[in-house]
Amino acid sequence: MSFPILSLITFVPLMGAVLLLFLPRERKTLLYGVALTLALLVFAASLALYFRFDAAFAGPQFVEKSAWLGFGIQFHLGIDGISLFLVLLTTLLLPIVLLSSWNSIRDRIKEYLIFMLLLETGILGVFLSLNLFLFYVFWEAALIPMYFLIGIWGGKRRVYAALKFVLFTMFGSLLMLAAIFTLSSLFFKATGAYSLNLFEQARMVLNPRLQTWLFLAFGLAFAIKIPMFPFHTWLPDAHVEAPTGGSVLLAAVLLKMGAYGFIRFAIPLFPDAVETFLPVLSALCLIGIIYGGLMALVQKDVKSLVAYSSVSHMGLVMLAVFSLNVEGTLGALYQMLNHGLSTGALFLAVGILYERAHTRAIKDFGGVSRQMPVFSAFFLIAVLSSAGLPGLNGFIGEISCLYGIFAANKIYAALAVTTVILGAAYLLWMFQRVMQGPITNEKILSFRDMDRREILYFAPIVVLMFWMGISPGTFLGKMDASVAAYVQRIKGRERVFVQKPGPAPESRRIDVREALSR
Amino acid sequence: MNVTAAVFPLLVVVGGAILVLLLEAFRPRADKTPLAMLALAAVLGSAAAAVRLWGTGASAFGGMLRLDDAALVFTMMFFVVVVFTILIALRFLPRQNADFGEFYGLLLLALAGLMIMVSSSHLIVILLGLETVSVASYALTGLKRDDDRALEAAIKYFLMGSFASGFLVFGLALLFGTARTLEIPALTAAFAAPDGVPLLGLAGLVLVLIGFAFKIALVPFHMWSPDVYQGAPTPVAAFFTVGPKAAGFAVLFKLVAPYAPQALRSQKILTVLGVLAAASMLVGSLTALRQRNVKRMLAYSSIANAGYMMVAIVSGDGAGLMFFLAAYLFMSFGAFGSLIAMGGGGREHHELEDFAGLGFRYPWIGALFSIFLIALAGFPPLAGFLAKYYVFSEAVRKGLLPLVLIGLLASLISVFYYLRIIVFMYMREPERDLELDVDHPALYLVLFLCLYGVLQLGLFPGNVLSVFRRALGSLFL
Repeated sequence: MSFPILSLITFVPLMGAVLLLFLPRERKTLLYGVALTLALLVFAASLALYFRFDAAFAGPQFVEKSAWLGFGIQFHLGIDGISLFLVLLTTLLLPIVLLSSWNSIRDRIKEYLIFMLLLETGILGVFLSLNLFLFYVFWEAALIPMYFLIGIWGGKRRVYAALKFVLFTMFGSLLMLAAIFTLSSLFFKATGAYSLNLFEQARMVLNPRLQTWLFLAFGLAFAIKIPMFPFHTWLPDAHVEAPTGGSVLLAAVLLKMGAYGFIRFAIPLFPDAVETFLPVLSALCLIGIIYGGLMALVQKDVKSLVAYSSVSHMGLVMLAVFSLNVEGTLGALYQMLNHGLSTGALFLAVGILYERAHTRAIKDFGGVSRQMPVFSAFFLIAVLSSAGLPGLNGFIGEISCLYGIFAANKIYAALAVTTVILGAAYLLWMFQRVMQGPITNEKILSFRDMDRREILYFAPIVVLMFWMGISPGTFLGKMDASVAAYVQRIKGRERVFVQKPGPAPESRRIDVREALSR
Repeated sequence: MNVTAAVFPLLVVVGGAILVLLLEAFRPRADKTPLAMLALAAVLGSAAAAVRLWGTGASAFGGMLRLDDAALVFTMMFFVVVVFTILIALRFLPRQNADFGEFYGLLLLALAGLMIMVSSSHLIVILLGLETVSVASYALTGLKRDDDRALEAAIKYFLMGSFASGFLVFGLALLFGTARTLEIPALTAAFAAPDGVPLLGLAGLVLVLIGFAFKIALVPFHMWSPDVYQGAPTPVAAFFTVGPKAAGFAVLFKLVAPYAPQALRSQKILTVLGVLAAASMLVGSLTALRQRNVKRMLAYSSIANAGYMMVAIVSGDGAGLMFFLAAYLFMSFGAFGSLIAMGGGGREHHELEDFAGLGFRYPWIGALFSIFLIALAGFPPLAGFLAKYYVFSEAVRKGLLPLVLIGLLASLISVFYYLRIIVFMYMREPERDLELDVDHPALYLVLFLCLYGVLQLGLFPGNVLSVFRRALGSLFL
């Protein structure tokens, strides 16, 4: 086996968390220094991953596989074009988030950093796991640090928001666990061997009725996480109460876990069920797009405005995923990265404002750009990126999403375009009310502009926004092969409709010895 | 194999118990630490003797006592349980004004009873073991003689326990009268035969099952347990959640597992046990939701956990049951150990409000307790998750999906009340200052051993499960 770079990336943050445990809590600089160094190290390692990634190869790369617990439970990591950039997004955002917390997190810094690093391990594990059990372990493990981040460093209703977040997510994931049990048992009945390997499971042909139930279980877990309408109610609470760093990671990465789950697990495992549910799923996405946009228009709090914009944007992403074609899937993946960057940037901007004003109500602001010209420029770029201005990253993502949706269903595409209009409306209107016009609140006169630290962590995001907007090939090139293979697998599958659960047809049976030897 | 080898571990424990009780009688005012050390030595000596019996299938008294590998696995768990109990009690008892040497003697006697229970397949011998455990347990519950709550708990436990024993003995009489044997394998064979046992015998079996359901506190026979756990000294409560329960489950498994599911009668019995399991999981979790006292909450949580273990029994998954018990041992002792750490100035602080802000004032206790609670709630990658995973996935394979769904629902509910303690520890400001007695090295040793167990069993259980499986193979020879 070659150098286990994926394990390294996943577990260095965990080791960092353990290391922090033994450092003195008064030494703020030391704590931050250690955490930041490790986060940057992980980012550097993941960059190496990017450069050594073979764009022509569709399957998982850098694979690590070893026996773990028996019963088909293996430690199985791998990265492909679908997960590569989500991993990079996570490792990039973590140092940014840590830097942004320097002033806003005043007490219990040690615990904060520990939970942040634990969260990174959980998220990276989710994106890298190729074994259903391992995936579930990381999926749940990522929940706990986020729970503490919201619950300890959050706003007034933090306990309520944190519990709601955990219980909603747990509800979905426990059903998913039941579905994993069933899959494992079915596989055993069909082949006589245990396997929770994603690829071996995907080769098992299930009858449509069974697929329906299993898909509902998986789909619910993911739909809650994304969140799709009508499972979105935890999101505004969690976002508004979470500290800035938590919000950034929640919006930029945690929500992507749900969309990623659909692409990686729910759709390849249960393609027939997806086809059956397409109209319902698409309708939910469309409702999400429009409802999220309209709700964002009427929010009085900047942070909950951004939260609802997430509901709307993720609706578009999921609609593109459900178009089940190459353009749509590529667009969805690209838009996921864009959303991660732009929403992350928006939350950072809100955090910067909140640190100065200690309020997030839109009516308390006005004319801030006169006091903070540099911040105003950064904020504007983030807003425009989120609204999909050509030349910035959001445009490419939205266009290819809509292109894919249009190829699948023209009416959906026509309705989905509202996201562009609504997005521009609520974002620009918010920007106008907060940043422009006369200064109404005299507190604003005392605002200082962004300092060097704030520019330092904001600038990389802005650079990426331009880069992704001007030269998308850098990124799409690495995704192409994997996405094409993914679509090919779904479209080109055999449609076998067995009447009852039982052994798969002879042609599709997996050779047990072959499965075990791999 | 000669007789002495098989009985030797038991003799060491009983001898230790008698010695401790005599020493206590002759030097009542002396320091109790030597007695605790003596008890520990007895347990370790017995463990050393027992380990050498692994794989030999030693038996004594014409097969009445058989230390096969399955019995040894349970016996080893009991050794760990008793060692942990002694260690966490060391400084606790003097501070609680309950520093009696009898504690260690009674604990050893209970251990002897537990060992007898798991190493026999004759129901009368099992009953003897059970009564030994029970009598010792009643006395242990009422150890704090000046505490009304403890006395109430002891009397309640005594009455309910005797009542359950009554059921058990009556059931045994009916069984013996109809099947003409109380040897479990012979009983099973009699029940499996087409014209085997008249209806009265089935009634006897049901009464026996009810008796055991009482002892392991399954809903609806659980009413006594929260009061007893709350009233008993905390180390004793920790002992109750694992020791007697594990033995009860071992016997139940022996009784129930061989029933071929295709036989109609045994199917009915399994259905009834499944209902008990579902009720325990749901009622345990739902009632725990309403508790403001953490010790009582943990008592209800142990009822819910008994429900999970019943799922393993119904699906005939002995290895899963053993694994769950092993995991639960570490989680439960971790949690109750953390409760013992919540004592200060001779009092115990177990109300939810007492935990407010604990996580930052006593970071180690808070962090450890949180980890045990998260493990109990079944979050990966800790032992509790893997235990539930093994049990539930085996149950699904046996076609018990509804039971598993109920179990998962109960787990979801349990997440709420376990996390609520964490909410108090980390997300509430303390209302009053609590000074805890932190000088308790043996307790910290146990807590770290439990942490190790929870992590080891959750992340790298290695071949533990296959060892259990092989040990179970010896059960039905």
